[in-house]
Amino acid sequence: MLFSSIPFLYYFLPLVLLTYFAVPKKLKNAVLFAYSLVFYAWGEPVYVFLMAASIISAWGLALLMDGAKTPKMKKILMIISVVISFSFLAYFKYADFFISNFNAATGLSVPLLKIALPVGISFYTFQIASYTIDVYRGDTKANKNILDFGTYVVLFPQLIAGPIVRYVDIADMLKNRTHTLEKTAYGIQRFCIGLGKKVLFANAFGELCSIFRASDEKTVLFYWIYAAAFMLQIYFDFSGYSDMAIGLGRIFGFTFLENFDFPYISKSITEFWRRWHMSLGSWFRDYVYIPLGGNRVSTPRFLFNIFVVWFLTGFWHGADWQFIVWGLFYGTLLVIEKMWLKKHLDKAPAVLRHIYVLFFTAIGFVIFNSVSIGGALEDLKGMFGLAGIPFAGTATLYYLKSYALMFVAGSLLATPAVKTMLKKIDSTEIGGKTFAVLKPLGFAAVLIMVTGYLADGSFNPFLYFRF
Amino acid sequence: MKKKTEYIYTIIVMALLIFGLSLFAVLKPAGDFSESERRPLEQLPELSIKTLLNGDFMDNFEDYTNDQFPFRDTFRSVKALAQYYLFGLSDNNELYFADGHIAKLDFPINQDSLDYAALRFNELYETYMEGKVNKVLFSVVPDKNAYLGEKNGYPQMDYDYMIGFFKEKLPFANHVEIFDLVDESDYYLTDTHWQQQDITGVAEKILVHLEARPFEDLEEKVATENFHGVYYGQSALPLKPEKIVYLTTPELESMSVFNYETGLKGGIYDFDKLEGKDPYEFYLSGAVPLLEVTNSSAKSDRHLIIFRDSFGSSLAPLLMRDYSKITIIDTRYLLPNFIGEYVDFEGADVLMIYSSLILNDSFILKK
Repeated sequence: MLFSSIPFLYYFLPLVLLTYFAVPKKLKNAVLFAYSLVFYAWGEPVYVFLMAASIISAWGLALLMDGAKTPKMKKILMIISVVISFSFLAYFKYADFFISNFNAATGLSVPLLKIALPVGISFYTFQIASYTIDVYRGDTKANKNILDFGTYVVLFPQLIAGPIVRYVDIADMLKNRTHTLEKTAYGIQRFCIGLGKKVLFANAFGELCSIFRASDEKTVLFYWIYAAAFMLQIYFDFSGYSDMAIGLGRIFGFTFLENFDFPYISKSITEFWRRWHMSLGSWFRDYVYIPLGGNRVSTPRFLFNIFVVWFLTGFWHGADWQFIVWGLFYGTLLVIEKMWLKKHLDKAPAVLRHIYVLFFTAIGFVIFNSVSIGGALEDLKGMFGLAGIPFAGTATLYYLKSYALMFVAGSLLATPAVKTMLKKIDSTEIGGKTFAVLKPLGFAAVLIMVTGYLADGSFNPFLYFRF
Repeated sequence: MKKKTEYIYTIIVMALLIFGLSLFAVLKPAGDFSESERRPLEQLPELSIKTLLNGDFMDNFEDYTNDQFPFRDTFRSVKALAQYYLFGLSDNNELYFADGHIAKLDFPINQDSLDYAALRFNELYETYMEGKVNKVLFSVVPDKNAYLGEKNGYPQMDYDYMIGFFKEKLPFANHVEIFDLVDESDYYLTDTHWQQQDITGVAEKILVHLEARPFEDLEEKVATENFHGVYYGQSALPLKPEKIVYLTTPELESMSVFNYETGLKGGIYDFDKLEGKDPYEFYLSGAVPLLEVTNSSAKSDRHLIIFRDSFGSSLAPLLMRDYSKITIIDTRYLLPNFIGEYVDFEGADVLMIYSSLILNDSFILKK
């Protein structure tokens, strides 16, 4: 089920809120667990059993780990649990990738499995793995209550598109959490912000990307418009989803860590990745990069560690070579920054540093959003005028003009400028009083507009569902 | 304390909105048909183990809730207005609003479509007309983008190219250019079509080529004052209804129209259609594969055969004065192979008249 859908907003959400706040504290996790299963089963009726198997195996093995007599046994149990979780992911997400590459390398024709990807499997597998590893490391105790653990895994606000919530971060909240007016009001506001980002901005930019793809007119300028539109689409789509998840979590008493921090204002690629999909970055840092030795190793080993992490980051996003190339592209940029460019960047004017980040991010996302490596090369050739196409054309100029205000508004909202300005106004006496009245009405207006877009059956895909 | 009030206020406003609309959505009886969009509305899907497991129930339930949402048309208007006036987008679902008109973007030229249409028309000529008919006219009806597009900054197809293309590919026809005879004011504001009362000039030019006479005593009458065109529902903009005016004479009123599909006889203007989903079907009953009009007032036994789309429906009556028989064919709904069974082309005048919208999306023409 999509957050940005009529069934969620006007059927599922009111029901879950009514039930959740009506039942006593001891039943709240059960309510969340049950509704989360319905939420997941709505889109994936059969795969709910797969998720249940993942939960039961991880929960049981963690308990055994806790009671393991020897470190070796504990390690074996941890490995078994992680292997089980990742083998589900490997089978459902990556099997066809391996088979098709095997076929290409050997000339054989092993039939593809063509299995539908269980929604959110990449996210909940990483959550389960973090729990298993944290229990193994002794960072947290195994949860004896399967309902609480199940609630952690299937919690619908972040189940299918993150942020990747680690068990240690919400273990206490699973047992004891408070519900306050402030949390509820904040959660509502945050949810509306995310909904607006997704439906009003991400979808509009997504539609422009689709128009570009469908258009017979391909020009250099149109390729760049497409690149900019996709950058904004993926940002508003994913950060919007994270906002909705964080907001819903807050309504139910959970505080999830932030996942985006205005990444497009970064002045280096290193900074960009500290601000973009932060929960994934920190997961790879803590469970892959640091265990491999991080940067406190020899240069060749450091390079190896970096490229392993970025290979995996790319591969996590999709079982295709363009995702791997996209990951390694960032790995290369980060190595170049770390080993050579950083000292020059630090001295460069801020505007140049912003342009540098936006330029390479645009290239990265064009690779990311291509259908294949060949498609990525075609797109890049188009962007750099190497495809023998004109600079601009009728459709290009029309869509540039049509989306001009969206681009200006989207670009502004992708920076902290608006947020900072609103905070400043809110901090003044008159501003604060005015905002107290207008803010709720503003959020209501966003919800009404979003409902209009949804009732119209507008373009409404969720990019991160495919991960 | 102030903050607490703000929190409560926020919660109340949003709860009223979400729970209020939710309750309304659940309690509201399901509608059957959307007048504005001219389509049936999705109904509550069947709930069974099978539809749950294969996901059909969920997919259809979403369509159902979208279609049946309370105040849906108002919400769609909110979206349309936000698109145009808040986000400054030039179009909404490819529809744009200019000079009081709603029009649909249609560009660029679809060469495959033009090739397909030319092939179909050549086949018709070779199969039925070559060596048999008196004359063949071909005419492209401009869509309103031709007048609204460029001056309002919207892209439009290359109409000159389209006309030139058909001149070259249909050498058997005498090409009648009518673009200069109409402008945007001759089209309905909320519909794709032209208005019959504004196309007498077009009829006169075609009749000159056919060596036939126009009606001299046409009287304007109002068929309805409550016409919402096809773009009205699609655009979701709150616009006023329009009048459908028709031109008639005693001769036109005495003509008999035989509908081969239904086997029924009727008149030139079909008043029942005014209450239907598309009131523009008032003209010659709209989308009908084959009609034969008998004009007993005609002083000759001339036969006019018109291959047309919906634009031709309102034009055709204006061409009928000198013809005792008028056959009207729509190959969007009639397989060309069957035409010979019903229509005798010997000595007939043939007019092939199609809108640029159909020619640029011609795969709907049957082969």
